[in-house]
Amino acid sequence: MKLTRGKSEAVGVVSRQRPARSSREALIWIAPAAFVILFIFGYSVITVLIQSFRYDGDWVGFENFSIVITDPIFLTALKHNGLLLLAVPVLITLAFIIAIALFETRRGMRFYRSAVFLPYVLPIPVVAVVFGQIYQLHGALNLFLKSIGLDFLAKDWLGDPAIALGTMSSVIIWKEVGFGVILMLAHIISLPNETYEAARIDGAGFWRTHFSITRPAILNTIVFYGVIEAITMVSWVFNYVYVMSNGLGGPGNATMVSELYIYRSAFQNKAPELAAAAAVFLFIATLVLMIAFFRIQRRSIAGTFNK
Amino acid sequence: MKSKKVFAIGALALALLLGACSSSSDTASENATTEETAFPTEDLTLNISWWGEQEAPGAQKWLEESIALYTKEHPNVTIKHVLQTTDGLIPSFEAAAAAQSGPDIQYFWGGIYSQQPGWDGHIAPISDYLSEEELSHYINAKVESGFQGKVWTAPWYVNPSFPLLVRKDILADNGLSVPTNWDELMKVCDVLSAKKITTIAGGVKDGWFGGWIYSILGGQSVQSQADVINAVVGTTKFTDPEHATWWTKLEESRDRKCWNDDINSLELYQAQQKFVDGKAAMTITAGPDAPNFVKKAGGDEKVTIMAMPAWSDGPLAGKMGTTSQTLGITKWSKYPQVAADFIKFTHSTERLNAWYAATGSMPADDRFDISQVESASTKALFESALNGAPYLENFIPAQLDADAVFKNVQLVLKGTVTAADAAADMQAVMERLRTSDRKLVDNFTAWAK
Repeated sequence: MKLTRGKSEAVGVVSRQRPARSSREALIWIAPAAFVILFIFGYSVITVLIQSFRYDGDWVGFENFSIVITDPIFLTALKHNGLLLLAVPVLITLAFIIAIALFETRRGMRFYRSAVFLPYVLPIPVVAVVFGQIYQLHGALNLFLKSIGLDFLAKDWLGDPAIALGTMSSVIIWKEVGFGVILMLAHIISLPNETYEAARIDGAGFWRTHFSITRPAILNTIVFYGVIEAITMVSWVFNYVYVMSNGLGGPGNATMVSELYIYRSAFQNKAPELAAAAAVFLFIATLVLMIAFFRIQRRSIAGTFNK
Repeated sequence: MKSKKVFAIGALALALLLGACSSSSDTASENATTEETAFPTEDLTLNISWWGEQEAPGAQKWLEESIALYTKEHPNVTIKHVLQTTDGLIPSFEAAAAAQSGPDIQYFWGGIYSQQPGWDGHIAPISDYLSEEELSHYINAKVESGFQGKVWTAPWYVNPSFPLLVRKDILADNGLSVPTNWDELMKVCDVLSAKKITTIAGGVKDGWFGGWIYSILGGQSVQSQADVINAVVGTTKFTDPEHATWWTKLEESRDRKCWNDDINSLELYQAQQKFVDGKAAMTITAGPDAPNFVKKAGGDEKVTIMAMPAWSDGPLAGKMGTTSQTLGITKWSKYPQVAADFIKFTHSTERLNAWYAATGSMPADDRFDISQVESASTKALFESALNGAPYLENFIPAQLDADAVFKNVQLVLKGTVTAADAAADMQAVMERLRTSDRKLVDNFTAWAK
């Protein structure tokens, strides 16, 4: 940990030597891009906010918000986004285990790393279409299960409202886990070897080493990945749901999520004002997650330095 | 400083998430002109956004041929076209409408699908550009696209909605004959399901088939489309027997194992393939595509086309529904009169015959000579569509269709909800819609007049 502190001190020295000029220069360099980004996205944000308070050109106060928040379909969508958050700990655990397995693998690590990361770079619509076929009642998965005598496990994976959301989250996990593996593995590889050697000399076993050394050492990365995936589950699963449920969020409303609700309100139900109101709710949820992320990250970094 | 940073990042996140939702609510400018307006002589381009190849294969070839012939007559006109997907047709138009920019000619399904864009101010009435005499030949124009003396869109081709295709060969192989009423159909289901043969192949994963089932079963217990509009505006309820009994018939068909067991995990077009492959005795398909299905499954000798067997003695029971798929002119089109002229051109005798030759389906024009149709089943289909029943799905709000009909058909077929639950949910969705769509009651009331 001395090395880390030394590095940060060195950075501090450099930044003290080139104070205000450096900041001003940086601002000048990023100003054009920042202006374009703020203008383009700022315009959208303001338009959505204004739209959420209007109906047919008239100011209606919180009426749109009231309609949306009392809509059972929107509430169902929010509940499903919440349920999808349960996939985040699964993702973190899986990614951590796979990252360690790859770290410990002596031969063929490059191949395994590519294989694990491959799903992450595949386009979501392609993944969703393929899994849509695999998960059919008479699809590949059930045929396989039946062929090995596990008929009782064969289900109507996407057609049964009781399990459709879980099925969909399994696809999301399959696709997203590679990202976590690469993040964590990159961090693990960069850890100093001396620590592990010291642990081995002290008699720490495989699990003790990774639970007590690797896990705390890459905690920042784990937190970062967790928050990114939490944001994904709340506001970035549209593509999966749209393709796998043909834009319906079905069967019934079993896979309805807030993004799909917004899309359908705006572009299928011709109610952009309700879409805007729902979008504001989604924004608030995302904002809460981002604030939580920055707080946890700050605390985590502070904790690392304190050690 | 910290809070500013968080806010800036949050704002960026909101923009990324919600940018797609922004749309303009400005109403389109009034730009109606009359048919007599001089034909423009400058170079111009028309854009067509359409759908239909999916249910009338050959439509694209016919459209491209029509464009070539029209632009040959009018060298200053260039016409481009984009074929939309089934799920993308409405959203892409809504996006164009929000931007008040996009196609000059837009494809619409009939009824509510052509009414709503008119009510929203996104299309100009076709009756502003085509004469009453011309429009009088367009099948279903007034019934489905008419609104307070105007006609929003021009029917293009007829969609007999929706025929039941029956494989006589499979029934005969199992000692059965073509059912003529609901009870006979249920008996066919009993016999075939006992032999592990699918009676009716369907797929409801993409929802559309649910709307079809509603129309062909639900239409049997109402007197006319006015009954449905009454339930929409709240004069009656969707839990009343004339609107709710069809759910019990759907439930019965599920209990009698009439459908393929994977109906919830298949899309409509995937399921219909079972019929062509001889794995199902019946299917329901889009009217324009029915003749093609008959051909693929072995022709008139093996297949018959009929309306859904009647389960009630209502005036519409046992009748084929009829609807026309239409073309409308967008409010933002700079050359609406040219767009209308092109639409009129597609209704010339030569183009009507060419449509039938290319697609095997019926153009939406009573000037089309049915005597040229050789297939007995196709001829019967066309005649039934000419005297068909109103197609109910086109007279309810599209959102009710998706949020209540599509959804509950899936759930009833899966056995997750009962018929009574489904009817109650449909009524609840309708009541909520009357609150969220604050113009719905006025628009439907005006439409009914």
